[in-house]
Amino acid sequence: MTAKAHVPTSHAGQAGVSLARQLLLWLLLPQLVLWMAGGVATYRFAAGYANQAIDASLLQASRSLARQLKPIGNGLLIDFPRAAQDVLEADPADKLLYMVSSPPGQFILGNQSLPAPVLPIQDAAPDEPALDTPYFYDGTMPVNGRAALHAPTGQPLRLVALYLRFGDEANAPQTMLVQVARSSANREELARRILVDMLLPMSSLVLLMTLIVWLGIRAGLSPLARLRQQVEGRNPTDLAPLQLASAPRELWSLATAINTLLSAVQNTVATQKRFIGDAAHQLRTPLAGLKSQTEIALQSTTDPELRARLQRVHDSATRSAHLVNQLLTLARAEPESVMAQDRKRFDLQRLAQTLTAEWVPRALRAQIDLGLDDSATVPVWVEANELLVRESLTNLIDNALHYAGAGSQVTVRVMADNTSTTPQALLQVSDTGPGLTPAERERVFERFVRASDIGQGCGLGLAIVKEIVERHHGEVQLDEVLPHGLCVSIRLPLSPTPAA
Amino acid sequence: MKLLLAEDDAMLADALTTQLGGAGFEVEHAPNGAVADYLLQKQHFDMAVLDIGLPMMDGLAVLQHVRQTHPTLPVLLLTARDALDDRVAGLQAGADDYVTKPFDFPELLARLQALLRRTQPASASAPFGRLSLDATSRRAVVGGEPLELSGREWTLLELLVNQRDKVVTKEQINQAWSDEGGETGGGNSIEVYIHRLRRKLEDAGLVIRTVRGLGYLLEAQT
Repeated sequence: MTAKAHVPTSHAGQAGVSLARQLLLWLLLPQLVLWMAGGVATYRFAAGYANQAIDASLLQASRSLARQLKPIGNGLLIDFPRAAQDVLEADPADKLLYMVSSPPGQFILGNQSLPAPVLPIQDAAPDEPALDTPYFYDGTMPVNGRAALHAPTGQPLRLVALYLRFGDEANAPQTMLVQVARSSANREELARRILVDMLLPMSSLVLLMTLIVWLGIRAGLSPLARLRQQVEGRNPTDLAPLQLASAPRELWSLATAINTLLSAVQNTVATQKRFIGDAAHQLRTPLAGLKSQTEIALQSTTDPELRARLQRVHDSATRSAHLVNQLLTLARAEPESVMAQDRKRFDLQRLAQTLTAEWVPRALRAQIDLGLDDSATVPVWVEANELLVRESLTNLIDNALHYAGAGSQVTVRVMADNTSTTPQALLQVSDTGPGLTPAERERVFERFVRASDIGQGCGLGLAIVKEIVERHHGEVQLDEVLPHGLCVSIRLPLSPTPAA
Repeated sequence: MKLLLAEDDAMLADALTTQLGGAGFEVEHAPNGAVADYLLQKQHFDMAVLDIGLPMMDGLAVLQHVRQTHPTLPVLLLTARDALDDRVAGLQAGADDYVTKPFDFPELLARLQALLRRTQPASASAPFGRLSLDATSRRAVVGGEPLELSGREWTLLELLVNQRDKVVTKEQINQAWSDEGGETGGGNSIEVYIHRLRRKLEDAGLVIRTVRGLGYLLEAQT
């Protein structure tokens, strides 16, 4: 009878990556990579400039050294005063090393073990290097050799190699190689300092940028949060479309989709309502006809056997009508039903009075003394769906009249119960009938379970009551009445008394 | 008593026509709303029973239309839909009473008679048991013998008779008394007056039942 809508109950569990986090990642990660590339480039540039400065001094030193070498006949005259030597080796931390040799490998002067020059590859014949052209290259201090006395081995070096020709045309001209080296530790130190000086402000910039980007994302996503609030803070029955005025263009399609869904749901709800109404109409009207026809037939015959059969048809029609009513009530009490959501404040005391009064004539016909306990007739306010609560009380009175039997008393009672932790409205229907055994009391809340086969019950009465009461965060309880009888208690949250 | 019955279910309409005819009504049957509307505008009826779910023109529309031309016509609605919704809509449209399908015919008949009593306060109302009331002269007669009644006793009896087989609450009794402009009843004065009326109605074949916590109900003795 009820179509349960498949509504995902929780979306937290399957939530994807946060949009804000994704944006932050996409904005910041490339930025970090770029910053790092910038750092590397800076280091390279810094090293390049440092090299230029060193190279210039090396070239100057090598030329000065070369000038001191004068070819004499077959040999070389080295005019290398002590003072000049001192100047070259002045700074012990950054001393100049030099070597003069006459290729191939004829050592002449200076530090014997400087690494051999690396000639540019494009030079066609490496054995015949260009003369008077400086070659700059990097190398390290060799492990062995006399240089160990002057400088630690393995130290990075920047070197220049200068090939010179000496000797006149008559004597076979010879090539002389002048190499000057300088520790490149300073150069690396300089580059590192430049890098560090740049990295500090750069990383604070990155932090600042992150903050700004994060704030920007938050501001940008705030319409999404507003949309969520609009949806979240909504009464389940409120199917009015979302306000689109403030939604940015990107959210527009989402909000429009939600609005389309809302109107579809609205249609479904209306269809369901109409269906319940139509079903009621389609079932109740023929049953009314069936009842009326059998009533006429009953009046127009005196044949006792025929009358008995007609009476059974009549009872069956009445029972079917009752069942239809109960099933429709149950459908309306389902949580998906709009009616179950539609609550307002009303006085339970007054409802009990009106309803009990309506049932008194039927009770009198069944020879049952139905009454209201008027020991406390103050209003008892509850916030609930009045029609559904009315239906529950109807079921309880109906049940009591059916099962208590002729000659018994049925009493309806409404009062505020302030003894429990939260104030509750207590609605009781007690009878002096045969009552129920504890085992029966357990089972009567199940659908289509009847404690006895007297009367016209369909076994839905208490199931409906339980369904309705639990929808309203209340509880139903069955108790024994002494010496015999049954008392059904409904407890609903009490609504505060309205200001006068 | 001419009655219009607008009901589209043939089986129910047939049964009701027979039953209402048996109860003394002259029944005209309309199978849809349009016919009902036409008949109500063209002919005179003393009352109308309208089903809400009628084809062509629903019962509420018929009711709204007839209210414009016959504002005092007693109208009872038959409803097969959700009682509360129809009750509100029906009463807003101007119905005097409503009965939910399916119903027991005696209940429908009792409602129709109560409606007639309420909307057509005849000077000499139909007798109830052996009692008959004359509202204009405020006199009650039991089997030809006039009853000696005080003003408040009359008011109380009239209320009980008009609401026969229904619970009359103490509130309603106090309300009726104060509408009469009489002195307001003290603590247990209602019980006193009920006691007196019971004695006076002993021969009328009527019994006033006390309904615990609610009030009183007048019914024929069985």
